[in-house]
Amino acid sequence: MLRQLPAGVATLEGPELRYSFVNDQMLELVGKEPLGQRVADQPGQLPAYFLEVLPRLYAAGEDYTAQACTCGSKHCYDLSVQPYHDEQGVVAGLLLLAVDVSEQEAARQRAHELALTTRHLDARLRVLTETAPLITYTTDAGGKVIYVSPQWYRFTGQPPTADLTAIWPLLVHPEDRLRVLFESEAGRRTGTGWNFEYRLRRYDGAYRWMLSRSLPETHPPEAPVFWHGALTEVHQERELSEARRRGEAELRFLADSIPELVWTASAEGLVDYYNHYTLEYTGLTKEELGPTGWVGLLQADEQAAAARRWVQSVASGTEFEGEYRMRRHDGVYRWHTIRARQLSDGSGPRWFGTCSDIEEQYRLRQVLQTQYDELSRAHHNLDTFVYAASHDLRQPTNNLRGLFEELRRSVTFADAEQALMLQMVDTALSQLDATLVDLATTVRTQRQLQEPVEVLDLALVLEEILLGLRPEIMQRGARMEVLVSEAPGLRYSRANLRSVVHNLVSNALKFSHPVRPPHIVLRSYLTADDQPVLEVRDNGLGMHIDNPAHPVFQLFARQHTHVDGTGVGLYLVQRIVTSQGGHVTVNSTLSEGTTFTVYWTIPAI
Amino acid sequence: MKHIVYLSRAVHPLTDFDLQTLLDQSRKDNARNGITGILFYSHGNIAQLFEGEAEVADKLFGRISQDGRHSHVRKLIDRPIAARSFSEWSMAFHPLAAESFEALQGFLLPHHVPPTPATLPTADALLVELVRLAVFGPDPSQPYQTTVPTF
Ligand SMILES: Cc1cc2nc3c(=O)[nH]c(=O)nc-3n(C[C@H](O)[C@H](O)[C@H](O)COP(=O)(O)O)c2cc1C
Repeated sequence: MLRQLPAGVATLEGPELRYSFVNDQMLELVGKEPLGQRVADQPGQLPAYFLEVLPRLYAAGEDYTAQACTCGSKHCYDLSVQPYHDEQGVVAGLLLLAVDVSEQEAARQRAHELALTTRHLDARLRVLTETAPLITYTTDAGGKVIYVSPQWYRFTGQPPTADLTAIWPLLVHPEDRLRVLFESEAGRRTGTGWNFEYRLRRYDGAYRWMLSRSLPETHPPEAPVFWHGALTEVHQERELSEARRRGEAELRFLADSIPELVWTASAEGLVDYYNHYTLEYTGLTKEELGPTGWVGLLQADEQAAAARRWVQSVASGTEFEGEYRMRRHDGVYRWHTIRARQLSDGSGPRWFGTCSDIEEQYRLRQVLQTQYDELSRAHHNLDTFVYAASHDLRQPTNNLRGLFEELRRSVTFADAEQALMLQMVDTALSQLDATLVDLATTVRTQRQLQEPVEVLDLALVLEEILLGLRPEIMQRGARMEVLVSEAPGLRYSRANLRSVVHNLVSNALKFSHPVRPPHIVLRSYLTADDQPVLEVRDNGLGMHIDNPAHPVFQLFARQHTHVDGTGVGLYLVQRIVTSQGGHVTVNSTLSEGTTFTVYWTIPAI
Repeated sequence: MKHIVYLSRAVHPLTDFDLQTLLDQSRKDNARNGITGILFYSHGNIAQLFEGEAEVADKLFGRISQDGRHSHVRKLIDRPIAARSFSEWSMAFHPLAAESFEALQGFLLPHHVPPTPATLPTADALLVELVRLAVFGPDPSQPYQTTVPTF
């Protein structure tokens, strides 16, 4: 019977406590084949302190129980010892009973640990709920406030004795109260939670915006009984976002009030806002316009270029600006300046654009252009008139000269003074003729300023010009020298080159020195900067120059009044050269000679 | 017929394998459904234009916008069209191993994308140019790192 007990049983016999009976269960505790061994020699898993008490129990004949003794690494036993006696009633041995309580012990241990953990959790929860910068609360299904964390008392200034359920609705801003009561009630009724903002009165009487969130504690399938939640102050955030909302709304309002097309676009250049006027002007909705619809409003042949410009602006972040015709809702195109700039701030780049109607300015510009064209036509006509008039006047002048010549030959004057007068009339007539010629030339030069440009062979052109001046050259016995090998070609208008050279050479011939025959050198070369230059040097009378590097030649200004001339030549030279971007300098020494240096600027192609 | 343009962000950067899978799957399905167009991908930025019969295109957009491979799908345009501008469906991106993609049908390197078809209205062509710029940056021959803002 002892063998079947659900416990370990052994008897230890005699003062030496030798194993005399061991059941199977006990074998697990004390090890194999213990019979006859002393327990001290084969203790198996029995703990040391237990072995120590056994001899004393035998001697004293006492009972002993040890609960939950750890035996070995895995097991735990309740051990009890009872002496047994022989027929004489003398202690003959000890009966050892071992009940395995490992599982109960483990369970007890677990329960203990659980209790510890719960205590930790509890403590942590309390510390957290009481220190976190938010108020926590619990209500039941009936809306009774079961718990609020101490922060609530600090915030509201209410005494710890306050009746929470009764007082809290009174601390909610009157404008928010009904809504809050309704929403929390609805949250409880439907078994869900809530999430809303309201103003709560602080200890100092100021109302502060709070965010209240709550969720039910659920243990399905039962309906929730408690709602736990948190209250956070969101006053500043709310005021900030309120301010931003207001700012944005004001900006929109402003943009919508302007009678101008205003729009904004994302960093990628996709329009995300068109102001009210844009929709009014185009007669399209925001959806119809879409993120790039504006380009479709431009005149068809300008769309592709405008689209390209916009892509470029978006890629490089540079300003967009251009003048385009934009279609109005009635199909009329009006000129607009489209401008867009990128704003980069914390929230990433954005584009702000406007389209300003410049139809009126455009019209005005066109009117001005028409007037300008008319004026320049009138100017041209005037030129033609002067030219024609000077031309037409030359004929009668020549006739007059001929008549006077005839008169002088056929009539004899008694008075020498009269002959002199006749001479003076003749001189005056030739001057009149020269003036008419120069007037015609001036007008002609004005027109030549727009002459076509070509590459000229200087040797050829200069020879041609000198050929035209042959009578004067022969008459004065002038020696001409042409040096063009350094720069034989020149891109210039043929007519202009002719005018310049003709004037300079005839000037040099005209103002030759009375005591020596003229020697005139024409030299073409390049400056260090590759600018082509023509130098015309003479050994004539020379002249007074105020500023040789920037000489000023006035129309009809003459230096040598004893020499024939109208003073038009140098003025023309300077006019032609500077109008093509070049300039003229003069070096002159009185009665030694003059050098004109013409810096041609190659006209742009 | 209609066309749809959208921008989106890949949830994870797509690998060569992901891209090839998408290319194979979409090309096959698109050919069957009569969908043509082009998709741009670079560093998680996605933009696509596709055109087809209205119901087919709407259904496809529904599927694409539910696809877990990307998010922040932003439809930019959804408009009826008179005729197609694209003859097939292709995908342009920078694979890590470009050589193994070169021969693939429907694959394009971003800088080999043909110019926007002239049959698109200028506004839509401009839209395609802008999303291409947003995905590939100013120089499509170089991988582009900037992410398209999502909002
Ligand atoms: C960026 C992106 C683009 C896609 N483009 C297409 C497309 O053009 N055609 C297509 O059939 N599927 C496309 N898909 C795949 C679809 O979202 C979807 O996976 C596919 O149509 C199969 O859908 P199903 O599994 O519901 O049949 C795309 C997916 C992603 C993430």
